[in-house]
Amino acid sequence: MRASDPLRTIIVDDEAPARSLLREYLAGREDIQLVGECANGFEAVKAIAELAPDLVLLDVQMPKLDGFEVLELAEREVAVVFITAHEEHAVRAFEVHAVDYLLKPFSQARLEQAIARAKARRSAGTPIPVQQLAAAARPRRGPATRILVREGPAVHVIPTAELDLVEARDDAVILRSRGKLYRKQRTLSEIEAELDPARFVRVHRSFILNVARLARIELYAKDSRIATLQDGTKVPVSRTGYARLRQLL
Amino acid sequence: MHPILARGGRLGPYVAAWLALGGLIAVLAHLAAGSPWLEALLLSVPLALVYAFICLASYYPCRAAPVSLVSFPRLLVTHFLAAVFSAALWLFLAITWAVTLETLPPFAGVAERLGRLVVVLAVTAVLLYTLAAAIHYVLIAFEEARQRERRHLELEMAAREAELRALRAQVDPHFLFNALHAIASLTTGQPQAARQMCLELADFLRSSLRLGARQQIPLAEELALVERYLAIEQVRFGERLRVARELDEAALGCAVPPLILQPLVENAVTHGIAGLVEGGEVRIAVQRRGERVAITVSNPVDSQAEPPGGEGLGLANVRSRLLAGYGSEALLDVIPGPHEFRVTVELPLVAFAATGPEGA
Repeated sequence: MRASDPLRTIIVDDEAPARSLLREYLAGREDIQLVGECANGFEAVKAIAELAPDLVLLDVQMPKLDGFEVLELAEREVAVVFITAHEEHAVRAFEVHAVDYLLKPFSQARLEQAIARAKARRSAGTPIPVQQLAAAARPRRGPATRILVREGPAVHVIPTAELDLVEARDDAVILRSRGKLYRKQRTLSEIEAELDPARFVRVHRSFILNVARLARIELYAKDSRIATLQDGTKVPVSRTGYARLRQLL
Repeated sequence: MHPILARGGRLGPYVAAWLALGGLIAVLAHLAAGSPWLEALLLSVPLALVYAFICLASYYPCRAAPVSLVSFPRLLVTHFLAAVFSAALWLFLAITWAVTLETLPPFAGVAERLGRLVVVLAVTAVLLYTLAAAIHYVLIAFEEARQRERRHLELEMAAREAELRALRAQVDPHFLFNALHAIASLTTGQPQAARQMCLELADFLRSSLRLGARQQIPLAEELALVERYLAIEQVRFGERLRVARELDEAALGCAVPPLILQPLVENAVTHGIAGLVEGGEVRIAVQRRGERVAITVSNPVDSQAEPPGGEGLGLANVRSRLLAGYGSEALLDVIPGPHEFRVTVELPLVAFAATGPEGA
């Protein structure tokens, strides 16, 4: 991207009037090229993957996926201007992490200021701390009930009740659900922290299993066991993993 | 305040009990000291009445030495001294009375006959004082408990009122900001629509303020407020927001607390429709069920979304207001299904009367 190139920009907001206002504010700006408009999080993830924009004007509250989930799934460094109406938690999160945001309703001048800051942040190479933002903006009241995975432009929603097994592989995790495998760019410990400890047990350095899927456990060698899931999958169980499992069962 | 003197209805039984005691003393004087009946009665009944009032004074040592604050030895010493003093005073009066009677011919020898009873009377006086002190303690404790309860009730009432004041439904600022944003969006492209929305927003705010200040309103007015609210949200959500109404005419005149339905519809829009890509239908049903009215608001929900933890603020507010206003007469039923969220409010059907001080 050269400095003279226009910023390839997409607008993400589920309310049509809000999108039209952004369109109107951006019209006539030479340095901005509007390449897409999205009305929900799924569309936004797809658009970011396919259009590789430089700038995303992102509403925080949306159906299916909120703004933070969109960025988390996009796994892409992009300049972002967050937009929200009143969400106290989100605003506090932005303040804490010094991320620029717009409060609805906002003026054209305020939008331009926010775009300039987002560009500066992007060119300074300061990444947006998406996960910390998301955690601060959505104070978890309980364990996750779903896990989101992106596969190219498509987003899969995996209910944790249908999650059988999580395996650490290289710098990512492989999630197994209903016989299908999904890859997610997270560490096993991060996933473990989100799951319900009463239903998911880390049985091994590299494995978390859904206790409800467990068929049997057999001694394999001294201090090591093999767990067999209902679908026949075999999972190694370490000594401490076995202790954790015993505690739960 | 003295627990016997200050309360009407207690002095009578108290004096009656002492008269009975006087009778017993007379029997004692007749049998043990050989007093003729007339002498025995004339001696004992006035003395019993006098002692009744002396014993009323045991209230003051009881007040001065509350059981909970004073050590047991001090309690014992205080009342022992008071008992001895009361008994001595009584015996002195008894002897004075006997000496006075002695001057009358029919009562010759009364002082001598009383002298035979002095020890028994002294012991009885101390015991009676002790009994009186115990009764005073019981009455004081009873009085304090009653006062505590009244204070507690008063505090509870005050808290309830404060809660009701605080709960008096407020417009969600989130809704206001979004509506203002929608107006800002419409100004250039659709100035007519922007003006229309300004007017609708003003209408809604005005009626919510006006209705919110009243204790009760007819259900029909609440429904009109809901319509104003929906008109504004319609601009934001467009085709995503659809509304179905099923209103029983027989229930529309029912008195309801203001803004009891609007927060439920607002919940249905912000937590239901706003979370669905394609939107959905909010259903508002008002039914008469015998002597009760059922108001149901339901909306589709995204089955894949993270369920909200616990009850939202709006719902909790409605619940507390119903509880404060109706107690167990009202019902709030929340059914968070996987595909549909449904809330039912059931109230007694009471026709709204506009003649009340807060009416119209």
